[in-house]
Amino acid sequence: MTTMTRRELLKTGTTAGLVLGAPTLISAQSKEPIPIGTLCPLTGAGGSYGPDMQRAVVAVVERINKAGGINGRPVQLFHEDDQTNAEAGVRAARKLIDVNKVVAIVSTWASAVTLAVRPLCVEAKVFVIGVSGADAVTQGDHKGYIARTQPNTNLQGRMYGKFAATKKEWKRIAYMGLQTPYARSFGDAFSGVVKAAGATITDDLIYEDKKPSYRSEVTRVLATNPDLIMLGGYTPDSVVMVKDIYKTGYKGAILAPSFAVNAKFLEGVGPEVAEGVWHMDRAPLFDSPAYKEFLAAVPGGDTGPYAPQAWDQITLVALALAAGRGEVSGTVIKDNLRTVSNPPGTAVYSFAEGAKLLGEGKKVNYEGASGSCDFDQIGDILSAPFIVQQVRKGKSERVMIVNP
Amino acid sequence: MPPFAQYVFNGVVTGGILALPAVAFSLLWRLLRFPNFAVSTYLTVGAYVALMLNVGVGARIELAWLGALLATGTVALAVDRITFRPMRARRPFSLAIASIGVAFILENIVRFVWGNDFRSYAVPVTRATSVAGLRIGRDQVLILGVAVVLMALAQLFLLRTRLGIAMRATADNPLLAAVKGVPTERVIGWATLGGGALAGGAGVFLGLDASVDPLMGGGLIISVFAAAILGGIGSAPGALAGALIVGIVEEVGTLLIPPTYKTAIGFTIILAVLLVRPTGLAGARG
Amino acid sequence: MIAYLTAIATLVGVRALLTLGLNVQWGLAGLVNLGAVAFFAVGAYTSALLAVAGTPLLFAWPAAIGFAAAAAAGLAMVALRLREDYLAIVTLGFGEVLRLFLLNEAWLTRGANGVTGIPRPLHAHFSGQYDVFYLILVLVAVALVYVALERVRRSPFGRVLRAIREDETVAAVAGKPVFRFKVQAFALGAGVAGLAGILFAHYLAYIEPNMFLPQESLFVWLALILGGSGNNRGALVGSVVLLGLLEGSRFAKDVIPFLTGVRLAAAQQMLVGVVLVVLMIRRPEGLLPEKPGPD
Repeated sequence: MTTMTRRELLKTGTTAGLVLGAPTLISAQSKEPIPIGTLCPLTGAGGSYGPDMQRAVVAVVERINKAGGINGRPVQLFHEDDQTNAEAGVRAARKLIDVNKVVAIVSTWASAVTLAVRPLCVEAKVFVIGVSGADAVTQGDHKGYIARTQPNTNLQGRMYGKFAATKKEWKRIAYMGLQTPYARSFGDAFSGVVKAAGATITDDLIYEDKKPSYRSEVTRVLATNPDLIMLGGYTPDSVVMVKDIYKTGYKGAILAPSFAVNAKFLEGVGPEVAEGVWHMDRAPLFDSPAYKEFLAAVPGGDTGPYAPQAWDQITLVALALAAGRGEVSGTVIKDNLRTVSNPPGTAVYSFAEGAKLLGEGKKVNYEGASGSCDFDQIGDILSAPFIVQQVRKGKSERVMIVNP
Repeated sequence: MPPFAQYVFNGVVTGGILALPAVAFSLLWRLLRFPNFAVSTYLTVGAYVALMLNVGVGARIELAWLGALLATGTVALAVDRITFRPMRARRPFSLAIASIGVAFILENIVRFVWGNDFRSYAVPVTRATSVAGLRIGRDQVLILGVAVVLMALAQLFLLRTRLGIAMRATADNPLLAAVKGVPTERVIGWATLGGGALAGGAGVFLGLDASVDPLMGGGLIISVFAAAILGGIGSAPGALAGALIVGIVEEVGTLLIPPTYKTAIGFTIILAVLLVRPTGLAGARG
Repeated sequence: MIAYLTAIATLVGVRALLTLGLNVQWGLAGLVNLGAVAFFAVGAYTSALLAVAGTPLLFAWPAAIGFAAAAAAGLAMVALRLREDYLAIVTLGFGEVLRLFLLNEAWLTRGANGVTGIPRPLHAHFSGQYDVFYLILVLVAVALVYVALERVRRSPFGRVLRAIREDETVAAVAGKPVFRFKVQAFALGAGVAGLAGILFAHYLAYIEPNMFLPQESLFVWLALILGGSGNNRGALVGSVVLLGLLEGSRFAKDVIPFLTGVRLAAAQQMLVGVVLVVLMIRRPEGLLPEKPGPD
């Protein structure tokens, strides 16, 4: 075993010496492909979301390359599975950065993974953009190499609270959050808003992931007689939880995130159990051409909120690189992200549109499938409207928009 | 505050489901002299076989359940023949480790074919009815009833039938039983078949009561172990009592400690029993 | 490619250290610890939390090792009165309970958030080639621990432990305080595991409870049994081979098209299970068997 490693090291050592010597800035003249990595959960807790995110990125890159690439250079994608596991994510990120030499990693999902790979990427000057919601993701010193298209959990909690407060009949509210890095922050933000509006929080429970039954948790919460149960989880656990709640004969309301109450959820619980469940999420720009193009390119990709974001993430990275006028690196992306995503500028809805205008020296403002994609200084998305829906007769119907 | 009885009832149902693999685990341990960690994975196998029959082929859930019994028993037998029989003379530790390997393999075969998603059977979801202040689900009562019947049958089998008596004799003293002409391997084969079937049936109950996923059985191993140890290794009524107690304590425990620590309860029970009365309630030889 | 291999080598080194720790408990003293990951986690978290609170690493590291050893001694005094297969389930349960503790007691452990920003030793001095420095640090640790454990094995303490492993009753009759020796061996092994955890935490600069799943304990066992249980050299070989297998299979998806995602993960784990079973049936003594007879 040791001999093999030594031989391997020797071989790669020489090639590495040559490659490492070359700078990461490559001249605009070369047709060298631009390496970009995806680090999605294809297995593990996030395993139901990763594949669609990856599909969205692949679809965008096909379009980019068909349109002639970024400043004439094609994009080459490298995919890795983080197994929704921080250590596996670190090893995968290492491979993407050191072996594939990516300039950006898009569509990370789990907060734990994003938090773990962040230091590596900052050090290697690789740009990371994902959907992780934990507040810590954009805090601290990351020198601008990180951004996310998902509103942070504090904002999310407050928006859900705002909606709940509009329903005066929901006086007693219980929060049941899945154990994730942001369950607490979401719960606190939510509770703060509803309490200020006069409701009582009757119970506050963080529940464990991957349990086949939540009967004990539900029994405990129902003992406090809530009018509304605020459920903060993902699809797999929400299916189990909502069924368990239904089985007890609970007649009150349930509010959950839309990414949990998706088509898979409806399939899993059936129309009778799902009847009346409220759900909300950041409103995608339904009428935006970007969203329409996304739906056409990634059929079934709208079953979660993440694939549209992945679509936008790769588009933003590509536009930022296009704005770099020849230089290709994570630093270029970080420097140009806000110039292509935030106003002022002509609204564009795809890479092709934006690249054309950038080529003419004009300023663009990308409006994406998941939202306007405007970022603040630390990489968070600026606040956005939320859309509230309710399941009626097996289908989700849009009820109202909640504005920040 | 729901009546304390609600927690007890929930615990009884959980315990009822737990009793089946606990009995299998306990008896097999006594017979084969090692804790077979694959038993809890047999639950998973049974649940998925039923899923295949019920959702895939469209069979009624009762038929799917029977199918699960047969299939899981067969799988258990195959596992025994391939893995444990070549190791009959080895130390318990090696067999236990091998059984962990088997559990790993079975769980991942299921995962390979069906993925990690939670699934449900094609049965209508029923709401609980309120009986004397308690929320009682129709499925819960059904599961409990069948579990009790199975337990009674198992106990009758062990006490009254020749094969059952032979099993107990082999478990008590294998050398003596062999000398007396008891066909040891045949006895082990039947015990494995029966134990596997019980576990498989329990898996379907668990899938009905909760959900079907590759980790469903593995997640119960600590509780199964606790029930078997509490009841006394080798005693079927002991395992049943142990399972009910474990189920009830786990449910009632959520009044005092956060539900996320449920596994800790099982573990604490194990520790307590092993320290205070290692032979368990039934007092059989450890 | 070099940085990638450096990273893999570092993680292999950490796992090898953990396996060495387990070998003290199992190989030397015959104690079945299925919760090896627990003391790995205790070392990692103790050091991380102390360091993040401002404790200089010079104090945090020994403190974490000491704490892991002490916690192990505590568990041992309770659990070691049990027979082999009972101890197995108790330690397995302990590993799982500890993980639940890490996940739930967020006031202490930061819960699911994990501990971020764990300081890396001497980062300022080696900022250019830090990963190489850290790899050397880990390799030195492995080497030192290996040498030390070999000496322990040959020492009177080690000989008594082996006697206890072979036949406890005889050792007791010979007047040896069997129980005390077993507790000490357990604690020593846990201390080594704790050291592995420390190096792990300060390398990744971030830890969270799901890095310490019960199946990690099984992988360590597999490494030990694969390499040759009872054997420090085997522990090293087993770790390298096992992690090589697991990491190498990452590239399998490039060759076998339908083997992606869940399927790849399931196939990898199935492989682990199959290797475990085959080993136990055919060659329980592992790749590098210890001199006297095995099973």
